[in-house]
Formats: sequence, structure tokens, C-alpha cells
Amino acid sequence: MFLHNLKYEFLQNIRARSLILWLILFPIILGTFFKVAFSGIYETTTVFSTVPVAVVEKGSNENFRQVMESLSEGDDALFETYYSDEESALKLLEEKKVSGILYAVDEQVSITVVSAEGGTSAEGIRRTIIKSFVEQYNANRSIIMDTISHSPEKLNDVVSELSEDMKCNENIPLTNGNHDNMLSYFYNLVAMVALLGSDLGLGIAVSSQGNLSAIGARKCCSPTRKIVSIITSMLGCIAVQTVCIFFSISFLAFVLQVDFGAKLPMVYLAGSVGGVLGVSFGFAIGSVSKLGVNAKGTVTTAFTLVCCFFSGLMIGNMKAVVSTYAPWFNEINPAAVISDSLYCLNFYDDYTRFTQKIITMLVMSVIFMLIGFFLTRRRKYASL
Amino acid sequence: MADTIVKIENLVKRYKDLIALDHLNLEIKQGEVFGLLGPNGSGKSTTISCLLSLLAFDKGNIEVFGRKMTPDNYEAKRNIGIIMQNVAVFDELTVIENIDYFCGLYIKNREERKKCVQDAIAFTELQDFTRFYPKKLSGGLLRRLNIACGIAHKPKLIILDEPTVAVDPQSRNKILEGIQKLNAEGATIIYTSHYMEEVEQICTRIAIMDKGKKIAEGTKDELKKMIKNTETVSVETSAVPADVLEKINALPHVYSACCTDGRLEVKCSGGKHNLIRILNVLQESDLHFGRVFSELPTLNDVFLEITGKALRDSD
Repeated sequence: MFLHNLKYEFLQNIRARSLILWLILFPIILGTFFKVAFSGIYETTTVFSTVPVAVVEKGSNENFRQVMESLSEGDDALFETYYSDEESALKLLEEKKVSGILYAVDEQVSITVVSAEGGTSAEGIRRTIIKSFVEQYNANRSIIMDTISHSPEKLNDVVSELSEDMKCNENIPLTNGNHDNMLSYFYNLVAMVALLGSDLGLGIAVSSQGNLSAIGARKCCSPTRKIVSIITSMLGCIAVQTVCIFFSISFLAFVLQVDFGAKLPMVYLAGSVGGVLGVSFGFAIGSVSKLGVNAKGTVTTAFTLVCCFFSGLMIGNMKAVVSTYAPWFNEINPAAVISDSLYCLNFYDDYTRFTQKIITMLVMSVIFMLIGFFLTRRRKYASL
Repeated sequence: MADTIVKIENLVKRYKDLIALDHLNLEIKQGEVFGLLGPNGSGKSTTISCLLSLLAFDKGNIEVFGRKMTPDNYEAKRNIGIIMQNVAVFDELTVIENIDYFCGLYIKNREERKKCVQDAIAFTELQDFTRFYPKKLSGGLLRRLNIACGIAHKPKLIILDEPTVAVDPQSRNKILEGIQKLNAEGATIIYTSHYMEEVEQICTRIAIMDKGKKIAEGTKDELKKMIKNTETVSVETSAVPADVLEKINALPHVYSACCTDGRLEVKCSGGKHNLIRILNVLQESDLHFGRVFSELPTLNDVFLEITGKALRDSD
């Protein structure tokens, strides 16, 4: 009987078109929208790219040339250098083919860049890089020239010290994860798909209560125990929800090429546990007998949207705002917990925080399920 | 004497100030087609819900198959088939899957269940629609699917709560024939309706309900004998003068005569040749008349005489 019920629960859920529309089509559409909207934002704002510069020389600049050549070589070259006369350099700058002009006059370097007004943030970063380079080059040159003039025996120590100073600016990442801030939108999208499973959970409550549906009444009149009926319904819904979550994550990871980091199997796990949370939440809301079926549907949808809003699905830094004013809310907001679990996977090498989030989700699921069982255990109804 | 299948004693159900069932007593014997007749809101469906242990009640006792009916009386539930007023099937499952699913709530053995499902499909003549989804079925076919889901496990007691609401006449006849067939195969039937013709057609015993009370009970003949009226004569005619109406009222066995909208209606209580006597009075008075009808009392007359209102008016 258990397998018989499970089979038909799975069949009727997997064939529910409107539900599949929300659980599969919705993440495809929203995920594609996010991908198109955020495409390149990370690269242009965060990831370093080579800065094109023109160099105009006068006099002898042998040392400067060596520095520029060393900075223009390799995969992570700082500059892409164009040597030219002043007129050509100005033309390149005007055409925005270079971000600035370096004037080298007998090893002394000065700079010309376009006006900051109207430029993009990427152009601003490039100008800052050129300016910083010029300042550091001139400062180091002055130190070395002074050392040569006054204490030539200390030249090696000074050069070594300057090199140490450079090492202080080295970027040491916490993990090998993807640090793209836009990823949080995709985490929240996965959280939303998981919570949309609350519709499935609502269906369990409605179809198992005689006062909410004719099917519920028919089930209540049968000799099948309610606990068996509810458990099989729950398992059937979780199975369907897991299929939908797997599909959504696979679409994001393999079709839209969203980089979830190196622990993709754990992303599937987090999504699946999130799905259990969504289904059990819907079951708990559906079991509150005072509300009508439509009102319950509205409550679950509204709750899902509110949770996702405070988790940052609509406004990126909302979770940080909540964390400032009501940090406890992020710990009990199902959407925030689901997206945090994905965040932890990407940003921490060990699984401690991830495990904490998974346990939180499971505890919340158990609480919601117990609430649902408690409320639907009613044997007779006061009215139908 | 046949075994008692359902025994309802002194059943009271209140919704705040409204008394939905007022000290109701019913006894249904094995092999009966028991009709619960009454207008909407009379308490028929409430009675059924209490009987099925879906609805809590304030007072009284219900026994089914000789045992007190409770939500965990699974043995009784195993032998009850319920066909709801509202169609209770899954839109996402096909006809055969729906029947198999609901039958599976009662029968664990796969082979036995398979046979029961095929029998239910054959009984409701749904062979050509087994792969159809409910949304593709007509209203009549959907009702037949609803019935198939309720009877597939071959219950001993079948409860049909207004199964013919919004069904075309052809499907309605099929459903009524099916109910009689189920009864002939040994099932006890409880049939609720506010269509008196249906109840008269198929029920062996009838309880008439109004405002939560049982106002009469018996076979249709017994019910009709309870009332004064034994024959109603209707004559299409022009206006009947007061003196002629007086003559008709003075005839033996006539207890009411009135003329409205070109139709003379005379109610008689007992006696023979009432029609001839009435027509003789009209002829003697030189009154022309058209079609003439003589009708035996209906359950509506029973309801009308007991409650002072017609069944249809009460809906």
C-alpha cells in the first residue's frame, strides 16, 4: 500500500503543470535574466585586466624601459604598452585606445589621462592603476637615486626593502572559490525554487483533510491510516521537488555556466535539503485549519517572496542590512539559510559552516512537519 | 429479519445557534436502497458526514455493521463505499489510475485490485475512456468515474450523496440503473437527493428530512398513505364561477377545489369515480374544458402536506 500510494503521489505531482511551470520554468527564466543582466559586471568591476598605455620618451630612459617591459610581459601583464610620439599618443588617448600617456624624460615619469567625468568605473580603476604606478615608480626612483648618491653600499638593502614592501600588497585569497558578488542572486534563486516547494506541501495538507477537499474526505473515509497517507504524500512531493531542484541547479551550472565553485555535489545536497524545508513549510501552513485553501495558497506564496526579499533576491545587499539590524532573522529565514549554505560552500574550504546550515534546515523541516502532523491528526471536523 | 447495517440514535449536530440535526433516528437494513429525501440544507449531507465519522456531533450514537462508528473503525470503513456530491478525483491521473489509486486505499493485493478496477470500469462503462484525464471527460462520464472510484473495492454499504447533480438525463438514468444493479448484487445503498422522482424510482424505503428532523419514514406507498390526498384532478378550463366551485367542493371525497390561471385543481381524499363526478358538474354548468389529468400523490405532496411547502420551493 505504501509503494502504491507513493507511486501515485509522485505521478500526480510530476504531472501538475502549474507546479512544474513554477519549479522548472521560473528558475530558467529568472536565471537567464540574471545571467544576461549581470553578465560581465564582475569582470569589468572586479577582475583585473591589462591597462593599455602609450609611452612618449625624451632623453635616456633605459631603466624605465626595463621596468615597462617587465610589466608588459606574461599572462598577468599590468600594461599593454604602445611607444609613440606625443601626437600619436594623444590621438590614441582621444580614441580611447589607451587609458593614459606616460611621459618619460630622462627616467622621470609624468602622466596624462582623460578627464574622470563621464568615464565608466572600469576606466576609473585603470586611471588609478596608472597613477599609482607613476607615483610609486617616481618615489622608488628618488629613493634609489638618493641611496646611490649618499650611501651606495646600502643599495642592495634598499632594493630588497622596496621589494618587501611590494609583497605586502599581495592578494591572499581565503579559498579557491568564485568571489563574484552576483552569485548571491543565483543562490537566492535556488533558495526560491526550494521554497516554492511549499505549494507541494500545501497540496499534501489539502488532500489529506476532509474539511478542505473532496479528495481529503474520500481519503479520510478509507481504511488507510492518515499517518501512512501523509508520509507517502510527503515522500512523493519531496521526490518531485528534488527532481526540480536538480534540474534548476543543473541548468544554472551547465547551461548558464554559473560558477558554483568546486563542490557542485554539495550544492545539489543543499538545494535538496532546502526543498524538504519548502515542502514541510507548505504542509505546516496548509494544516492550519482556520484558513481557506486559497488563503493558504496566498500565505505560502507571500511568505516565500518575503523570505526571498530579505534574503536578497530582489535587492543584493538586503541580507547585509538585515544582518546589521536583526541578525537573528537571517538565522531563521529559510531562504537566507538556504542561500547561506551555498555561500559557505563557495567561500570556506572546510564544511563546518555548511554543515551547520544543513542541520538548521533539517531542524526547521522537522519542526514544520511536526506542526503539520499535530494539526492534521484531528479525527473529526467541526464543520465540512 | 434482515440485519441492521446502520443505526443512528438521537443524533444532534449544532453549528453555534443553528441545529443541523435534531434528534435524528434512522435504522437501515441489509439489502435496502434507503433514500434520504429533503431540500437543500435539510441535513442529509450532515447526516452522511456524521455517519462516516468525518463530522463531530454533539449528541447521539451511530453504529455501522453492529459496531460504534469511529474514525479508527477501519473494519467498517473497509466495507463502505462513498460517492461524494463533489467529484473527488485527481486531475493529474487518468481514469484507470484514479480508480486504481482509490481502490488501493482499500485493497492491498495487486491481482485482486486489478480485477476490481476492471470490474468497476466495466460496471460504469468507462472502457473507452481509461486513458483519458478527468478534464477531458463530459460531466456525465466524470460522475461515472466518481462512482467507479467509490465502488471499485466492492463495498457492502454504498453511500451516494446527490450523485446526479448537474448530470444530463441519459447519464442520470445510467447512474440510477447502476445503483439498482449494485443493490441487486447485494450492496446496501444509502441514497441522498432532493430529486423526489429519483428517490421514488429506486428507493425501497425513504426518510424525508426537513430542518434537521426526520418528518416521515417508510416505503413510498406508506408515505403516500400518511397524507389526506389520494388523487388530484386537474382540468384546463376558462374561469370557473363561484357557484360551480361550491358544487365541486360539495362532491363526496373532495376536500379542496380552486381555479387559477385557467386551470381547475381538485384534491380528493379516497373514493372512486371522482373524475367523472367533477366532469359531470362542469357539463351541467355548461362550462367548456380542455385537457383533463388525474394524478396520484407524489412525495412532493407528502412533503407539502407535512411541512406546508413544496420540496422544490424549499431549494
